[in-house]
Amino acid sequence: MAAPKIIVVGGGLAGLAAVIKIAEAGGNVDLFSIVPVKRSHSVCAQGGINAAKDLKGEGDTTWKHFDDTIYGGDFLANQTPVKAMCEAAPAIIDLLDRMGVPFNRTPEGLLDFRRFGGTLYQRTAFAGATTGQQLLYALDEQVRRHESEGKVKKYEGWEFLSAVLDSNGVARGICAMNLRTMEVTTFAADAIIIATGGIGAIFGKSTNSVVCTGSAQAALYQQGAYYANGEFIQVHPTAIPGEDKLRLMSESARGEGGRVWVPRTVGDKRAAKAIPETERWYFLEEWYPKYGNLVPRDVATRAIHKVVYEHGLGIDGQPMVYLDLTHIDRATLNRKLEGILEIYQKFVGDDPREVPMKIFPGMHYTMGGLWVDFNQMTNIPGVFAAGEAEYQYHGANRLGANSLMSCIYGGFQTGPNAIAYAKALKAAPGDGGHAQELARQNDLNKQLVSSSGKENPFRIWRELGETMTKNVTVIRHNKNIQQADEKIVELMERYRNINLSDKSQWANTSFAFTRQLYNMLQISRVVAQGARLRDESRGAHYKPEFPDRNDEKFLKTTKASFAPDANEPRFEFEAVDTQHIPPRPRRYDAAS
Amino acid sequence: MATAARPDASQTSNPVGRGVEPLRAGKGNSFLLRKLHSLSGIVPIGAFLIEHLLSNFEALKGPLAYAEQVKFLNSLPLVRFLEVGLIFIPLAYHALYGVYIAMRGKANVIYYPWSGNWMYMMQRWTGYIAFVYIIQHVVRQRFMGVSLPEHPGAAFHKVQMELSNPWMLAVYVIAMIAVCWHFSYGIWLFAAKWGITPGANARRRFGYLCAVLGVVLAVMGLASIYAFVGPNYKNAPADVMPAQTMLYAPSSPGASLS
Amino acid sequence: MAEKTIQIEIKRQSGPDASSTWEKFEIPWKPGMNVISAMMEIAANPVNASGQETTPIAYDSNCLEEICGSCAMVINGKARMACSALVDKLEQPIRVQPLTKFPVVRDLAVDRSVLFENLKAVQAWVPVDGTYDLGSGPRVFPQQQEVAYPLSNCISCCCCMEVCPQFNDATGFVGAATIAQVKLFNSHPSGKVLKEERLRALAGDGGVQECGFAQNCVQACPKQLPLTEAISDITRDVTLQVAKDFLRA
Repeated sequence: MAAPKIIVVGGGLAGLAAVIKIAEAGGNVDLFSIVPVKRSHSVCAQGGINAAKDLKGEGDTTWKHFDDTIYGGDFLANQTPVKAMCEAAPAIIDLLDRMGVPFNRTPEGLLDFRRFGGTLYQRTAFAGATTGQQLLYALDEQVRRHESEGKVKKYEGWEFLSAVLDSNGVARGICAMNLRTMEVTTFAADAIIIATGGIGAIFGKSTNSVVCTGSAQAALYQQGAYYANGEFIQVHPTAIPGEDKLRLMSESARGEGGRVWVPRTVGDKRAAKAIPETERWYFLEEWYPKYGNLVPRDVATRAIHKVVYEHGLGIDGQPMVYLDLTHIDRATLNRKLEGILEIYQKFVGDDPREVPMKIFPGMHYTMGGLWVDFNQMTNIPGVFAAGEAEYQYHGANRLGANSLMSCIYGGFQTGPNAIAYAKALKAAPGDGGHAQELARQNDLNKQLVSSSGKENPFRIWRELGETMTKNVTVIRHNKNIQQADEKIVELMERYRNINLSDKSQWANTSFAFTRQLYNMLQISRVVAQGARLRDESRGAHYKPEFPDRNDEKFLKTTKASFAPDANEPRFEFEAVDTQHIPPRPRRYDAAS
Repeated sequence: MATAARPDASQTSNPVGRGVEPLRAGKGNSFLLRKLHSLSGIVPIGAFLIEHLLSNFEALKGPLAYAEQVKFLNSLPLVRFLEVGLIFIPLAYHALYGVYIAMRGKANVIYYPWSGNWMYMMQRWTGYIAFVYIIQHVVRQRFMGVSLPEHPGAAFHKVQMELSNPWMLAVYVIAMIAVCWHFSYGIWLFAAKWGITPGANARRRFGYLCAVLGVVLAVMGLASIYAFVGPNYKNAPADVMPAQTMLYAPSSPGASLS
Repeated sequence: MAEKTIQIEIKRQSGPDASSTWEKFEIPWKPGMNVISAMMEIAANPVNASGQETTPIAYDSNCLEEICGSCAMVINGKARMACSALVDKLEQPIRVQPLTKFPVVRDLAVDRSVLFENLKAVQAWVPVDGTYDLGSGPRVFPQQQEVAYPLSNCISCCCCMEVCPQFNDATGFVGAATIAQVKLFNSHPSGKVLKEERLRALAGDGGVQECGFAQNCVQACPKQLPLTEAISDITRDVTLQVAKDFLRA
């Protein structure tokens, strides 16, 4: 019997983790990635990876890790898989250590751990400030080893377009486009694993990488996969706004005494240092006298949003506030914060020791994603999902340093599950739907190339991003969400009039982008309408009109499915597995 | 178990299959040749250079002392064998392989004007200068005109005549500096590339040492040149040891070249 | 009021075999712009300085925060990451061209797969027995971690290879990045098991011997890897290995 053939789409932590498990089990893997896998977005993770190894004598346990994760996610996550993840975490850290990840060490040569948000324990293993990069490299190296032994074949520079489904709706492979030759091809597989990360690009600018468009998830959603909890989007309070993207500014800047402020007068054009103390508004300190600038992330994020969008007090009318460290002496800053200050200096060009940093909350993480069962399989047989692309580990809000663990754990689960599924799979009827899918995708490409309107795809994308960021991130009003949804419909209408200024068939990046853009528009509606329907506040989802959590009505997973005829999402709700920890109020300000 | 429904279509043509080739892991012998080149620059060529400069320094004591030194060298046991085995062959190898190395590098100081990059380029240019200079030096001084092994007393006069041409003098001065530069930076490179000075600080300190050595050697060399062209020993006699009997019959194949 | 603009010239090439031409652009200036955002602006309004419609620029990019290693280009004559190349700190017109030592795919996008091939050739990995639970990893003291961590920061951007006078078609030199990875894995307590094989690989044609020690690599590296130190250490180890193999043959 031939070894089962599995296709993994996405070469970040989750995808690579799945590849390794499959290769080890004797499976045959094709790994597809838009970028060389070593350049995947996982490299951007900084802080660390959580596992309750309790090497600090604090009495930490995997149960406490489980409880923190569920509580942090405002009880929206299904508890069984989260519990299993937290239990597996310590062994995964050991494995990563054995693979050569240069984790920071204690003098005894053991792993060092630090404390992160949402917990009282030192549970976060870290490799300097580039933990994600180091973990990704470790897995990348193992995959390269399997590749050199012929167990893995990499398709770098290929974009996933769709799953190939047979007449019974069972996955039989994928349809992908070579980003150099622009050729569309289908590839046969017994199971496919989608590990394509987050959907940051629908917000225009985010802390995500360029490839994080959510295009693959959106394509599968349009082919019948459920998309779950799309409305849960994590926004980090302090990101560095940039012309091209948002870059994270670590919370430690505020930890060391950084103060957040804006000029009191709308349209104050003076340089920051020219504005006297009395004309500065330290709004966090004023609104939250107890915690001041160190309120929890979601609170800080909401406050900054309010000041900018409701009071109109953003610096120069831009969505930015000051994060000021200039009152702290240089020596202290250099000793404690040099690394992150250099990032700011490099990308903004100003010295944050002299000039207050300009920061703003930035879309950071996609809690929602493809709906999967406890075996990581979507509702399309043979299509599995892992990592940020699926929904199941973080509920309504992700704790820092849990994402790296959920990616690797998810990948490790998915690989063997996909093999088990593939081994039991019966032969495909006919050609498994390959010819039909290939023709469909080629038709879509032809339509796009022959489209002769006047809309520029990049400008549509900008408008989408502005709309989504303004209406569907931090503070959500049903009226605004409704407008955003209407705007997306308008953009989809304009998309039909798109004009590709580049119609060539060689390494046409704008062509590939334009294909992604359509999927981005589709998934944006899922996010917006999901937010519209959830009339409560839970985790990252906050509606001033419904400021409280409503477990009775909304302790439920949102499941969106695509209605092809109406070309829009349909929603249903699914009960959450809360069998281990009964839901309790989530209040970080009270001693619990 | 399902079978693949379609043939694997992975073999799409990729016209971008060119560029610098990957490492030929464990294959070929360029490592040995390159290390031999590097080593030969220190031993024996570097050692010979020092000997040669020290011998030349005798010229400062006058034609007779210089002749004595030439005579002494030619009296060494197996001198013709040493000359071929420890000087001519290693020098030819170092020179020819060095030109091969230099021609394969693509200097880019225009874009990256960093000190190490300048030194990289200088090492190649001083190498080319040394290459051309040494060929003419060996041909004209060793194999043309009066044969010095048989007539060591004629050494001073022979060199003096050569340097009386101002163009030749300029060539000798430039070449002297180039060779000393090439040698002293060569020592530094040897230490860096053989892992003797891996750390940046070690390399910097050793760099000062090599610079001092280079300057000392160059000054010594230039001083000896001065001995031939300066006022002290003007118009030296054609042979200061006319009665010299040959200590060593020119019967070896190496010597018969002359 | 005249809007402030920036001048940028981009070397364009429609495919690997096409000839290249320089195209000039004048685009609106915005505060904090980098070279990537200038190209995003061109994509949103693909018109060149002479007012002619053109195509968006093809280039590699991903994280835009100098950690994925995608967007290395030659900007004003220097190989560097485009994401951290701030327009306000560059002399105008800004001249952007693809890396010169790698085959051009299109415009500024080049094929750098040679580095990944080299990493395969030197077995740049720790050969773990398996991913099942085998307990804790080897003890590693902080001092060892402090040596390993900087080497592990290599983002595979290939700037070190681009600026190296020895990295070219004639030598087929492996480049500093791969040599640094050999040092990283040879120093790992269990990665060491492949040490001799890696050293023998690096003694092959295009190996460590091709280094001319111009030290451009260490100057150009955007992540400040101790590349020359790695080359020194590894060349010594390779030499000793070759000598050992010779004596034991």
